[in-house]
Amino acid sequence: MFAIGDRVYQRELAPPEPGGRAVGSYDRWVVTDSSHIRNFCIVAHIDHGKSTLADRLLELTHAVAARDMRAQYLDKMDLERERGITIKAQAVRLAYRSQNRDFELNLIDTPGHVDFTYEVSRSLAACEGAVLLVDAAQGIEAQTLANYHLASDAGLTIIPVMNKIDLPSADPAETARELSELVGCDPSEVLSVSAKTGDGVTELLEAVIERVPPPAGSRTEPLRALIFDSSFDPYRGVIAYVRVFDGSLPSRSKIHLIQAKLDAEAEEAGIFAPEATPVAQLRSGEVGYLVTGMKDVHLAKVGDTITLAGKHRATEPLPGYREPKPMVWSGLFPAEGGDYSDLREALDRLKLSDSALHYEPETSLALGFGFRCGFLGLLHMDIVKERLEREFGLELIATAPNVEFRVIRGDEVIVVHNPSEMPVPGTYDRVEEPVVMATIITPSDFLGPVLELCQSRRGELLDMKYLSPERAEVHYHLPLAEIIFDFFDHLKSRTKGYASLDYEPWGYEPSDLVRVDVLLHGEPVDAFSSVVHRDKAAQYGRAMVERLRGLIPRQLFDVAIQASIGSRIVARETVKAKRKDVLAKCYGGDITRKRKLLEQQKKGKARMRRVGRVDVPQEAFIAALRVDQRPSGAKPS
Amino acid sequence: MSAGIYVHVPFCLKRCGYCDFNAYAGMDHLAPRYVRAVLAEAALASPAWADELFVSVFLGGGTPTTLDPAGLKGLLAHLRHRFHVADDAEVTIEANPDTVDRPKLEALLAAGFDRLSMGAQSFDPSVLASLERIHEPASVRRAFLDARVAGYRNVSLDLIYGAEGETVESWERTLSETVDLGPEHVSAYALTVEPSTPLGRKVAAGVVPSPDPDLQADMFTLACDRLAAAGYVHYEISNWARPGFECRHNLGYWERRPYVGLGAGAHAYRDDRRWWNVRPPEEYMVLVESGVLPVGGEEHLEPSDAYLEEIFLRLRIFEGIPASWVEAERAAPFLESGLLLNNDGALVPTERGMLLLNELVLALAG
Repeated sequence: MFAIGDRVYQRELAPPEPGGRAVGSYDRWVVTDSSHIRNFCIVAHIDHGKSTLADRLLELTHAVAARDMRAQYLDKMDLERERGITIKAQAVRLAYRSQNRDFELNLIDTPGHVDFTYEVSRSLAACEGAVLLVDAAQGIEAQTLANYHLASDAGLTIIPVMNKIDLPSADPAETARELSELVGCDPSEVLSVSAKTGDGVTELLEAVIERVPPPAGSRTEPLRALIFDSSFDPYRGVIAYVRVFDGSLPSRSKIHLIQAKLDAEAEEAGIFAPEATPVAQLRSGEVGYLVTGMKDVHLAKVGDTITLAGKHRATEPLPGYREPKPMVWSGLFPAEGGDYSDLREALDRLKLSDSALHYEPETSLALGFGFRCGFLGLLHMDIVKERLEREFGLELIATAPNVEFRVIRGDEVIVVHNPSEMPVPGTYDRVEEPVVMATIITPSDFLGPVLELCQSRRGELLDMKYLSPERAEVHYHLPLAEIIFDFFDHLKSRTKGYASLDYEPWGYEPSDLVRVDVLLHGEPVDAFSSVVHRDKAAQYGRAMVERLRGLIPRQLFDVAIQASIGSRIVARETVKAKRKDVLAKCYGGDITRKRKLLEQQKKGKARMRRVGRVDVPQEAFIAALRVDQRPSGAKPS
Repeated sequence: MSAGIYVHVPFCLKRCGYCDFNAYAGMDHLAPRYVRAVLAEAALASPAWADELFVSVFLGGGTPTTLDPAGLKGLLAHLRHRFHVADDAEVTIEANPDTVDRPKLEALLAAGFDRLSMGAQSFDPSVLASLERIHEPASVRRAFLDARVAGYRNVSLDLIYGAEGETVESWERTLSETVDLGPEHVSAYALTVEPSTPLGRKVAAGVVPSPDPDLQADMFTLACDRLAAAGYVHYEISNWARPGFECRHNLGYWERRPYVGLGAGAHAYRDDRRWWNVRPPEEYMVLVESGVLPVGGEEHLEPSDAYLEEIFLRLRIFEGIPASWVEAERAAPFLESGLLLNNDGALVPTERGMLLLNELVLALAG
């Protein structure tokens, strides 16, 4: 079984011959010269046909027989599939014969979401070429650009390809012009395919062989292999997806991970052909997998370099390694008290297969014991939360997501992941927040509303150009905090769904940020604290207070709901004391029903959380903290 | 102990939109068979109640006055025959204004139904319309005067407040008209929206607004003031009476005295056991006709259940609970905020406290 993009394939393997190897093991993959190898990937905006093209490539290279091609769901990837995105990068080897030469084509799949930019960059680093696939009816989109720049920065040879040319709405001439302009080639060099019908796919394979250079690298140097993805198999341990640059990586060898400073065993090296197929060794230029037997996926970090343990060890790691760094933080709390240990256990188990997940215990006065969790982005956060709820049966309250702030006090840098831990104004020199470089492509007609949106989000216009008279590309410098909530939804609604967005981290910058607290009857509710720009603080406080007014049930006394910045109250609403709460009717001696209603009410009360003297129902927390909108960049499902 | 008999008559000319009682329109043709079934049930049930003295009989519904007076007379005679009913027992029948006239009322009184509880609901035509009641305010006045002329000296009027469109001013007029008629007893209920009713569905769909609890609180307060000024004693959260005219039967529910329930869906209680009959009239009749007690469900009260009942029932009749039952710190905030009073060692709700009875009960019962 193997997966490319959101497709999962399964093929019956013939049973092993007596004393022999499984039929379908691929001796013929063992080529002696890396000039036969082409490592490439397909990069595309979501829905531009990457998975369908991968299907055709597999079919054409007979990796999978046409009748065996059936897309099917794989349990563990439910979430990814429902969201129409690819999270796990995979690599598959394709055998292709061109002009009487056998070639080994390694198709490396890349994730397609902004949350996973670093993972994309490592997958790209495993390739020499990239097929830049663009829907001829849609033209270039923001992800096309972002991926193009990533691929081009990684030094990859770009093959511009238009897909869906069979669609009546396709505009090949215009798309070819846009693509050639972007890539800097002649429009005639842009290939045309229909992944659906298979038209032009052979030509594409020929172009891959012709244009993508074979891997460089030395077979005699000490081993250096890049981990571009990893996964966790409960039976076999950590599986690393690797690209060998120098030397060779034999099965059953002692290996060393340079960044992790860790020795391990290469229990089995193999290739996806397309099923996992063991090989004696992976050599310079090749792509495959490595079963390590390690029990924690964090030990095989994406971007790490594998070399051999012992005296043949390489000392220099491959470039580009980065610690996976959470961009978005949120507190996760069990909805019902007492599930804390279940949540801890679930997070521990989730982390085995999700190296990007961070968490540390957090105690909230309002929500009790939970964890402050760090995610790559909002999508990642949603996926983790859904997996916790779905796979572990937990009911959770998530606090509003926030970015990481840096509080500068003299020489000291305090990293703040939790708004309620933000120091009071006057006790520090300044606060810095993460900023991003955002790329937006929009029909020119909607340029005004798009610029207005970015301006309202504290954006700074860096650059703007027209891809054609109808379409414009703008670059904005934006605080990350301004786009993690609902930016993408606003962008979509202002452009009738036509605009696309991508962004990349652009460091930290000083900003006039303040903490806004929400008080119930004078008691601050830590779960509702937020760090926002001073210009928007009062507005935020008012919105939060108004929202809560509709959610806090009436109590036996007037409840003041206030928002404050430091000691200054910026908004106030009152939930008036309730005056009537009685089951007045008493009919025909049915006391049972009345008692049951009272017992129900008692249970409801017991489920509430107490903030000072105020009873707050679970639902109020959930509703008040809800991020209604879908995370930016995700495909609406 | 002095017990009660409740007889349920599930027939109505028309179902009102707010009503979730066990009542059916268009089933009048079953009435003679139903009355026979109740007689049969009385025969089946009475041996177990041989030791009880019954001090009240209550015919509720539905609309008991949809039955003809001769049938009702036979029914009451039969009950007296089967159960040990005190000579001076309080015998109540519920009536809708449009189902009674003077001859009928005379016949009912002669039959022994000496207390009349009339569903007036409101004297505001628009409120009656929004409650989907079939009668008009004039019918209430006529029926009430007919009852007086027929010789009734113990009449109760039922009122409902807080229906859609009702204002404090309109409620005030209803109270004035009520006081002007001068019944011995007044029940005033805040309209409760039950999800299973047509009204409940309209509220859920947003077609009709949910009653405003603050407005209902104002109306409750107004009722307390007006009825007290007219000499009525507020003896239960929703009930007022001239001294000596408190409803003995309903007090039995609240004082946790035993009662037997006859008829479809009727409830009974004795010795920490509560049970109730099947609700559908057809099923009820078939069971009784085959000689089986038509019990549809029952529960045995655990001490904690009984305690919770004791608390909420005692509180609602202003009898209150002994302060010694409750830890002082539980009661303190309510005494302080004026929801409770300490009357010689009994914790009694104030009128404001009555409106927040659920909160009081939950806090005091712990």
